[in-house]
Amino acid sequence: MITGTLAIGLAHYLTVAAILFTLGIFGIFLNRKNLIVIMMSIELMLLAVNLNLVAFSAFLGDLVGQVFTMLVLTVAAAEAAIGLAIVVVFYRNRRSIEVEDINKLKG
Amino acid sequence: MIIASLAFYLFSLMAMVGALNVIFQRNPVHSVLWLIFTFFNAAGLFVLLGAEFVAMILVVVYVGAVAVLFLFVVMMLDINITTMRRGFLTYLPVGALIGLVLLAELALVFGGWAVAPAADALRAAPTPNMADIPNTQALGQILYTKYAYLFEVSGIILLVAMIGAIVLTHRRRVSSRKQSIETQVARRPSDTLEVVKVQTGRGVSL
Amino acid sequence: MMNAVPDFAPAFPEIMLVLAGMVFLLFGVLRERDSMQLLTGAVIAAMLIAGVLILRQPDTGAVTFGGLFLINGFTGFAKLLTLGGAMLTLVLINNWAQTAGTARFEIPILVLFATVGMLLMISANDLIALYVGLELQSLSLYVLAAVHRSDLRATEAGVKYFVLGALASGLLLYGMSLVYGFAGTTTFAGLATATASGGNIGVLIGIVFIIAGLSFKVSAVPFHMWTPDVYEGAPTPITAFFSVAPKIAGLALFLRVLYGPFGPMLHQWQQVIVAISVLSMAWGAIAAIAQRNIKRLMAYSSIGHVGYALIGLATGTLEGARGMLFYMLIYIVMNVGTFACIMAMRVNGKAVEDISALSGLARTRPMMAAGLAALMFSMAGIPPLAGIWGKFYIFMAAVNAGLIVLAVLGVLASAIGAFYYLRVVKIMYFDEVGPVIERPNAVTGTLIAVCSVAMLAFFIVPSPLVDSAAVAAKSLFPG
Repeated sequence: MITGTLAIGLAHYLTVAAILFTLGIFGIFLNRKNLIVIMMSIELMLLAVNLNLVAFSAFLGDLVGQVFTMLVLTVAAAEAAIGLAIVVVFYRNRRSIEVEDINKLKG
Repeated sequence: MIIASLAFYLFSLMAMVGALNVIFQRNPVHSVLWLIFTFFNAAGLFVLLGAEFVAMILVVVYVGAVAVLFLFVVMMLDINITTMRRGFLTYLPVGALIGLVLLAELALVFGGWAVAPAADALRAAPTPNMADIPNTQALGQILYTKYAYLFEVSGIILLVAMIGAIVLTHRRRVSSRKQSIETQVARRPSDTLEVVKVQTGRGVSL
Repeated sequence: MMNAVPDFAPAFPEIMLVLAGMVFLLFGVLRERDSMQLLTGAVIAAMLIAGVLILRQPDTGAVTFGGLFLINGFTGFAKLLTLGGAMLTLVLINNWAQTAGTARFEIPILVLFATVGMLLMISANDLIALYVGLELQSLSLYVLAAVHRSDLRATEAGVKYFVLGALASGLLLYGMSLVYGFAGTTTFAGLATATASGGNIGVLIGIVFIIAGLSFKVSAVPFHMWTPDVYEGAPTPITAFFSVAPKIAGLALFLRVLYGPFGPMLHQWQQVIVAISVLSMAWGAIAAIAQRNIKRLMAYSSIGHVGYALIGLATGTLEGARGMLFYMLIYIVMNVGTFACIMAMRVNGKAVEDISALSGLARTRPMMAAGLAALMFSMAGIPPLAGIWGKFYIFMAAVNAGLIVLAVLGVLASAIGAFYYLRVVKIMYFDEVGPVIERPNAVTGTLIAVCSVAMLAFFIVPSPLVDSAAVAAKSLFPG
């Protein structure tokens, strides 16, 4: 349990997480170079969520947040595996993973 | 305590630098390496928060497995240094503005983060005193009892991920040579060996 | 420490399905020949048994696994709808895979696990349980979208679905973390207690993030952008599955989350849902007009239908919940029938997706044209077909809840939407005969017939179905 004497409060951690989360969204929407970078941006978003959960867990004095974090980590690993598999099959068909080449379906 | 504060600023600053680099590096391999760097710093933040086990998991699972998987795919797909998206710079100011506004709003909220009055009583698993029960043990005690259901479902999720990855990418290669144990076991000397009497000076015809 | 073995009985249907899935998987792996046909039958049988098990569950409801898992009349009804949608589309999927030569035994198994994910979502009684159920569903669906892996369009659909779906999961999780930080708990009951004393801006941002994430999953505007592309790119019967089962599960989850833990904050989230609903109805009606591809048309159509269903959610009343459940019931039948028609659109052995290919269908295939026309009339909401009844109950609920403007907008949107449904009918009946569409095969033909007759004959027996929807909705409002 973090004691009150510490100068660093909950708000500090939440702000760091918010910055990481915003960077992750940024990476998806703005810097769309290739799919791998987009997937890494998603990992950044999930990292921000984990930071939020662990921070709340510590400041509330409740372990559920850490259990949640572990599950998010597990699911994120599964998600990365499936995402990369999809990227690989797309690459085999298209010979590219540049976002500009994802254009067969107009949208 | 001052050391803890310094450590917080160091880790969080480095995590943000790492995250920025993940997005802006031109070479995907560098992006992955910066992602690993970010994960290490985030693990540092977790340790500062007293969540040792999650910190270790982050390093072992993320750096050890997921980031390596990313590296593997980047190398396998043989992606060259990517070009910046055309028109990227024209989007940047607008996007940066929206991002900043979002951040400012979130920061304002977090500055005065309020917890529900009932939150203290509602906690499902209050953290035990660390001196009595270490973090890892405390987590294990609830993960395999109270939250066993979630544990099982995440097992099914991993199974689906496995099926999915195999369904999508597995190809039966004609060129690859596989061991066939049945054929090996069923092999008899009579199938393959032939004793030939060689006459001197004649040799054998094969 | 609580170490007692939990009560497994409430989760029997799900446990049975998971075990069956694993046995089928082993069977498929060990058998040398492809066993998709066989396993599709087995999966449908398992789902039927699960349905029977759900029907036999007590109406009083139960909670198990330390409060993570809940069943009651509502979850039972929603699960039966989901299972029904999954079984009907599995028939279509098998039919497609056998004719297109893309049979793989993993497909029915992935459908099974996706469906289990949906059932777990519906029964979730805790934010963490909700998340794992949702991800089990989503991960299976990403794979299914790209399962025709040599097809560029299918893999591109997979990529788009994955990236936007993962983004949605991220938003949802961020919202959940904020809610957890506010309430100190993730259980639905605890959250209801915590929000009863009034929320603050932090928890409100959290709820908005959760709504955004769930809107992605049910493809409501402004989070719909993946829908047309994924619908067009994924194989047609897989699209049919996407348009039915996950929508029901997602909307049921919406009801459970917003009426349960966040019920006390109705007035805060109501405006958000009203906005999403209006935008979905409007965009679903307007953007569909310009579509030439029938699968894209169906994508906008389902965006519109989700908009109507969300009206029921926005009311926050029992009547609204009943209307929404009833609407989804009709929606499944309409959609399965229409997708069976799309699958039957084959010219010279090749599937066609252009709406113009239907021209003059009334003269070449009168039965199929009549079936599709009945389905289109129903979607447009022409009385006395089934579609109008769904809309009627929803709009009545909105009026009774004081959301008169919303109801009026809904009527306007369905008038615009009627235009493009009727255009399909006009093309079939009044245009010159175009390419000759092959005779539907036994499976698609039967489904078209059954679904369109159900639409026509619906007005004879609406009340038992409405009543069971009402009973189901009642268990959302304890006490």
